[in-house]
Amino acid sequence: MSARTALHIVGLIVAAVGAAMGVSCIVALLYSGPDVVPLLASAVIAVVLGLAANRLTARPKDLTIRESYLIVTLAWVSAAVFGALPYWFAGVASPLDAFFESISGFTTTGASIFPDPESLPLGILFWRDMSQWLGGMGIIVLVVAVLPFLGVGGMQLFRAEVPGPTPERLQPRIRQTASILWRVYVGLTAAQVILYLFGGMSLYDSVTHAFGTLPTGGFSTKTASIGAFTSPYIQYVTIAFMYLAGVNFSLHFRALKGRPHSMLEDEEWRFYTLLLLSAVVIILGSHLIAGTYDSLEGAFRASAFQVVSIGTTTGFATEDYVTWPALTQGILLFLMFVGGMAGSTGGGMKTMRLWAALKQGVVELRKHLHPRAVVVTRVGGKVVHEGVMLNILAFMLLFVASFIVGSLLLAALGVDLVTAAGASAAAIGNIGPGLASVGPTENYSWIPGAGKIVLSLLMLLGRLEIYTVLVLFHPEFWRR
Amino acid sequence: MKILIVGAGAVGFTLAEHLSEEGHDIVLLDQDPERASYAQDQLDIMTIAGNGASLSTLEQAGIEKVDLIAAVSNVDEVNLIACMSAAQFNVPVKVARISNPEYFTEAGRLESARQGVDLMINPELECARETYQLLQSEAASELAFFAGGRVQLMGLRVQPNAPIVGRSLAEVAAGLKDRRFLTAAIAREGQTIIPRGDDVFQPDDLAYIIGESTQMPLVLELAGYSKFRLSRVMIGGGGRTAVYLAEILEAHGVDVTIIEADRARCVKLAEKLKKALILHGNATDMELLEMEGVEEIEGFVVFTGSDDTNMLASLLAKTHGVPKVVALINRIDYIPLVSRVGIDAAVSPRLSAVNGILRYVRRGIVVGVASLRGIEAEAIEFSVRSGSGVVDQSLAEIEFPDHSLVGAITRGIRVIVPSGDVTLKAGDKVTVLAMPDAVKAVEKLFQ
Repeated sequence: MSARTALHIVGLIVAAVGAAMGVSCIVALLYSGPDVVPLLASAVIAVVLGLAANRLTARPKDLTIRESYLIVTLAWVSAAVFGALPYWFAGVASPLDAFFESISGFTTTGASIFPDPESLPLGILFWRDMSQWLGGMGIIVLVVAVLPFLGVGGMQLFRAEVPGPTPERLQPRIRQTASILWRVYVGLTAAQVILYLFGGMSLYDSVTHAFGTLPTGGFSTKTASIGAFTSPYIQYVTIAFMYLAGVNFSLHFRALKGRPHSMLEDEEWRFYTLLLLSAVVIILGSHLIAGTYDSLEGAFRASAFQVVSIGTTTGFATEDYVTWPALTQGILLFLMFVGGMAGSTGGGMKTMRLWAALKQGVVELRKHLHPRAVVVTRVGGKVVHEGVMLNILAFMLLFVASFIVGSLLLAALGVDLVTAAGASAAAIGNIGPGLASVGPTENYSWIPGAGKIVLSLLMLLGRLEIYTVLVLFHPEFWRR
Repeated sequence: MKILIVGAGAVGFTLAEHLSEEGHDIVLLDQDPERASYAQDQLDIMTIAGNGASLSTLEQAGIEKVDLIAAVSNVDEVNLIACMSAAQFNVPVKVARISNPEYFTEAGRLESARQGVDLMINPELECARETYQLLQSEAASELAFFAGGRVQLMGLRVQPNAPIVGRSLAEVAAGLKDRRFLTAAIAREGQTIIPRGDDVFQPDDLAYIIGESTQMPLVLELAGYSKFRLSRVMIGGGGRTAVYLAEILEAHGVDVTIIEADRARCVKLAEKLKKALILHGNATDMELLEMEGVEEIEGFVVFTGSDDTNMLASLLAKTHGVPKVVALINRIDYIPLVSRVGIDAAVSPRLSAVNGILRYVRRGIVVGVASLRGIEAEAIEFSVRSGSGVVDQSLAEIEFPDHSLVGAITRGIRVIVPSGDVTLKAGDKVTVLAMPDAVKAVEKLFQ
C-alpha cells in the first residue's frame, strides 16, 4: 500500500472541494458580503494543495482493497479539514468548531455549533449547505462519475462510500452508475428548488434548503430552521423531498425510466414507508389525546414533519419536539437508529438492515421449531446468504456499540445522560438535532472540545458505514 | 407409421415397446451399442448405435421417410438438436423430452426451437402433475381425466368395510337413483375381470370406475372411504420432480415439507421454494418423521432416486397411518407389487413421459389416452367424426372387439352411461377401455 497512491486521488478530491468553495465565493460576491476573501483564500489553498498533491504523485494503475479504504476515509477527513477553513478565516468559529461544523456538513449530519445562523454572512451559509449537498450523494461517487480512469478500483471506492449492504449496479460500467445517481440527485434538487420558488421562497433560501434536504442534511440558513417558513405548502414540500431523499436512488432511477411500480414491488420501500406512516399515526394520536394542537391539520403536519425529518435523518425542524410527550420522543429516538433506505442519502442503520435482521429473527424461530430444517432468509424475493446476513448483524452490533461508547464518553465529559445519548445517536445516525440540551432549538457549541472530537468521529463512522473507517484500526491493515 | 426414437433409456425403450406392439415401424437410436443391441434382442424393432444429434446418423436411420421423431434421450440438448435436424428433413411430427425447466419454459421464445419441436415433454413435470392428481383423493391409485375433466377414470381399492362388499354390481346399481358411472374392470388376485352384473365386489378388489367426475365422491363413499382434504404433504427426496410437485402444492395452498439427505441440495431447495419447509435428513428416518408430525399429514410422497428406499419409506409412512402414500417407482416390474404391499399409488416420470408421448402420437381421432398400471389396459378417448362408420349406430350394433369396453360417452356437457340402446352421434366423445391386443381394432372402428 502506498501513501502516494492515496495522495493522488485525495488531492483531486481536495481540489474539487476547493472548486466548490469557489462557487460559494461567487455567491458571496453577488451579495458583496464580508466573506469573499475568506472563501476565496480557502478555495485557492484547497485547489493549489490538492492539485499539487495530485500532480506530484503517479496515477495508480489499480487499487488494492486496503488502498480503497484508506483513500475513502482520508478523502472525507481532508474534505472536512479544508472545508473548515472558510469558517475559521471568516472568524466565526474556532478551528475545532470550524472542523466540527465542516464534518457535520459533509457527513450530512447537520449538527451545528452556530446558535444563530442568521447572523452569518450569506456566502458562508451557502458553503455550509453546499458541503452537505456534496457529501450527500458522496464526493467519491462524484469523482468516480467524472473521472474515467477509476475503473476497477472505482467499484471498491464506490462500495466503501455508498450506504447499504450491497450497492446495485444500474449500468455495466461503474462510471455510468455513478453518473446516473448524480443526475437523479441534481434533478430532484432542481425540482425542489422550483417547487419552493412557487411557494414564494427567495432563490437563495430555495437553493440552500434544497441543498439541506436532498442529502438528508438539515442545515438551515434560518435559526428556527424550516419553522421560519410558516407556509404549510413549504413545509409539505420539505416533507415530500425529505421522504424522497430517504428512498433508494436506484428506485428513483427506475421510476424515472417509466417503471414507477418498481417502488411498490420493493419490499424495503414498503417497510420504510410503513414504518414512517406508523410513527406518524402514533405521534399524531398522542398529540390528539394530549390536545397539544388546535387543528387536526396542524397536528398532522407537525407530526409528519418531525417523523420524516428524523426518520430520514435530515434533522430539519418546525417544532421543538423536546417538549413533546415522552412516548413521541422515544419513537423519534428509535427512528434515529433506523434511518433511510439502503442506497439513499439517509443515514442510520438503513431500513434494509433492520428488515433483514427482523426476518432473520423469524427464521431463527422457525429453526427452533424444526431443528433439522434448512431455512434461508429472503428479502425482496432474493436470498440473503449467510455471509451477507452476518455482515448485516455485525454492522448493527457495531453501530449500537459505537453509539454506547459515544454516549459514555460524552457522559464522562460531564454531559447529562439524555443529552449524551441523544447527541451520540444524532451523530452516528447523521441526523443533527438530538434530545434535551442538543434538541432542535439548541446547538452543539457548548459541548466540551473532546466531546466535539468524539461526535466528529461518530459522524464519520455513521456516514461511511463503520466498516470503512474501523478497518483502518485493524492491526492487519497496516501490516505489509 | 415409421417412427424414429432417439435414446434407448427407460423412456425410449418403453415407448418403443408400446408403439411396436401397436404395429408401428420403429427405429431406435442410442449412443451406447450395448443398450442398442439389448433393445434389438427384446423388441421387434431396428436399432442403430450412434449420436442422435448427428446428421449422418439420422440419415443412416432413414430420417427422410420418418413420420415422427421422438427424441427422448436424457440429454436435453441432444433431443433439441435431433428435433431441429429432423425439421430440416421435413419430418411431420417432432417430440422432444426436455427436463431442464429453463429450456422447457423458454424454448417457446426461441424461434428455431418452436419450429423444430411440436411437443415438449417434461417427465418430471408430468409426473408431479400426476402425483398431485393422485393426492387429491385418498382412494385413487390411478386417475385419468377425459372430456376436459368431465369424465374421470379412477382405480381404487375396495375397503373391507365398504357398503358395496358382498353385493353384486347389479344390486349396487339398483340402489342408486341417478347413476352416471360404471365399473369397467376389476383386478383381483393378479387377474383382470371385465365384470358383469352378477359379479360380486370383494374386499381388496382393485376396481376401475369410469363416469362423470361429479359422481366420484359417491363412488368413494361406496368403496368405503371417508371425506378427505389435503392440507399437509411430506415429500421424501428433493429432486426435480419434488420441486415441481412442491410448487403445484404451494400454489394450491397445501403445506409442504421436503426431506432431503444432501445438505447442499437442501440449501438449493430452500432458496428455490418460498414456503416449503426443508429438512435435512433421510426419508426413512422414523425419528425425524415423528418429530415433524408424520401422524398428522394427509399425504406422503417419496421421490428419492432409489426404488428400494421409496418402497421402504412408503411402508413406514403407511404404518404411521398416513392416509395417502405415493411412491416413485422406476422399475416397471415393481409396480404390481406396490398396491399389494399397501402403498396407495406408484408414479414414474418415465411412464408419465411415455403416456404423454403416446397421447400425442395417437391424436386425431384419439383425444386422450391413459395407460393403466394395475391392469394391462389403456383407456382411450375417441372423438366421433361425421364420416365414421359408428355414427348413428347403437352400441349394440357396433362390433367392439373382445377385451374392450365403452366406459363413458360425453355429448356436449352431458355424460351418458353406456348401454346397448345408446346411439352414437357425430361430435360425441367416447372413452373406451381396451387391452393392448384390442387397441388397433378399436381405433379402426372410429376411423
